[in-house]
Amino acid sequence: MEYVRATTLEDLRTHLQRSGARIICGGTDLLVKMRHGMAAPDVLIDIGELEELAKVQVIDDEVHIGAATRESILLRTPQVGDHLPLLCQVLQSLGAEQIRNRGSLGGNLANASPAADSAIPLLLYDARLRLVDATQDRWVSIDEFLLGPGKTVLSSGEFIHTVAIPFQPPEWRAFYHKVGRRRALIISIASLGVLIDYQDGVVHEIRVAAGSVAPTAIRLRAVEELLAGRALSKGLIEEARLLASASVCPINDIRATETYRRTVVGNLLERFLMSLLDPMA
Amino acid sequence: MKIYFTLNGRNVDIDAVPTDRLIDVLRDQLQLKGVKEGCGEGECGACTVLLDGDPVNACLMLAGQVHGKDLLTVEGLTTDGALHPVQAAFAETGAVQCGFCTPGFIMSTVALLQRIPTPTDEQIIHALAGHVCRCTGYRKILDAVRRATELLAQEVPLN
Repeated sequence: MEYVRATTLEDLRTHLQRSGARIICGGTDLLVKMRHGMAAPDVLIDIGELEELAKVQVIDDEVHIGAATRESILLRTPQVGDHLPLLCQVLQSLGAEQIRNRGSLGGNLANASPAADSAIPLLLYDARLRLVDATQDRWVSIDEFLLGPGKTVLSSGEFIHTVAIPFQPPEWRAFYHKVGRRRALIISIASLGVLIDYQDGVVHEIRVAAGSVAPTAIRLRAVEELLAGRALSKGLIEEARLLASASVCPINDIRATETYRRTVVGNLLERFLMSLLDPMA
Repeated sequence: MKIYFTLNGRNVDIDAVPTDRLIDVLRDQLQLKGVKEGCGEGECGACTVLLDGDPVNACLMLAGQVHGKDLLTVEGLTTDGALHPVQAAFAETGAVQCGFCTPGFIMSTVALLQRIPTPTDEQIIHALAGHVCRCTGYRKILDAVRRATELLAQEVPLN
């Protein structure tokens, strides 16, 4: 297996066209896969020192994050904390310190686990990804980007350059919870994130995303439509809970059963909505 | 491939296969047995070393990735045979039983206390969440971190 360090985008574009070439940045997913025989690249292209891909910039009410930016750096970057507080909340629960000091945002997305933590806030934010290869430069929505377990729209030779994320509206409330067997280093059993514009008992707009309950992280659009423009009530929350559970398609695996995951997703939504309806409870 | 980096305060250059795991290079080529392999998958923290001051799992790094970096292992903490205050705290509070997880915990504690000299319990737990210990039940380890903050506060800073 060959190892090359790409310090420029040109290096990366060139090497990525080679047969059996794969990008390594933090390596926290790839090296584990390789250890288990689930990946066997011929060439590893290390982009860990490719500064061009590790920038964080604010451009027109969006935060633009280079794909090779480490998760721990994002947590220490004021522009991310100021404008994307939900992303920070989620990143705090990703892996552990040791993982966050190596893992990159682009890596978490390109690995495309159905449990990918960063996919939840990115779906809620309607983030876009800039994908680049030797000849093309295109933008796709995070929704379009994720296709299935371990599958994305990246074609061979193509890489994520930047993730563009619109600012989180400051008046909106955020919720995120991830269920797993321990506090850290968990691949989630189920997770739920919500962004909501809730004023005077009425849901003006709501966005709901769930993880580990479908082939990719997903928005629960039916639930969003159910709740949009309506006053919260116990009855409506119960409807939303049932619809959320019905909207997902989890599987049985070593971490949990389908039924458990389905139930948990509904319960997490109910818990959050009830906390809005009755904050004293 | 020639790999140059700073290891425990000294410049080193080694010849290594760049795709060899850092943990293997440290243990086998450089004889630094304090870097323990508990799982080989980044799930237990036993192999934690400090890369440019930040905790990372040596089992999830490749030799080629350490080029030009500053690396600290548990062996680099003792100077002239004297225990580092964090090491002393772990020994003193009985936070070491079999000792296998200990170097990793110590490295994360050193990094934490450099960033946050008097952490809250929540901050300690968050910083150490990437480690597992089969022996102690963790309470003594938390005591050790708190004791270490006291010992470090007592140290006379060198100018």
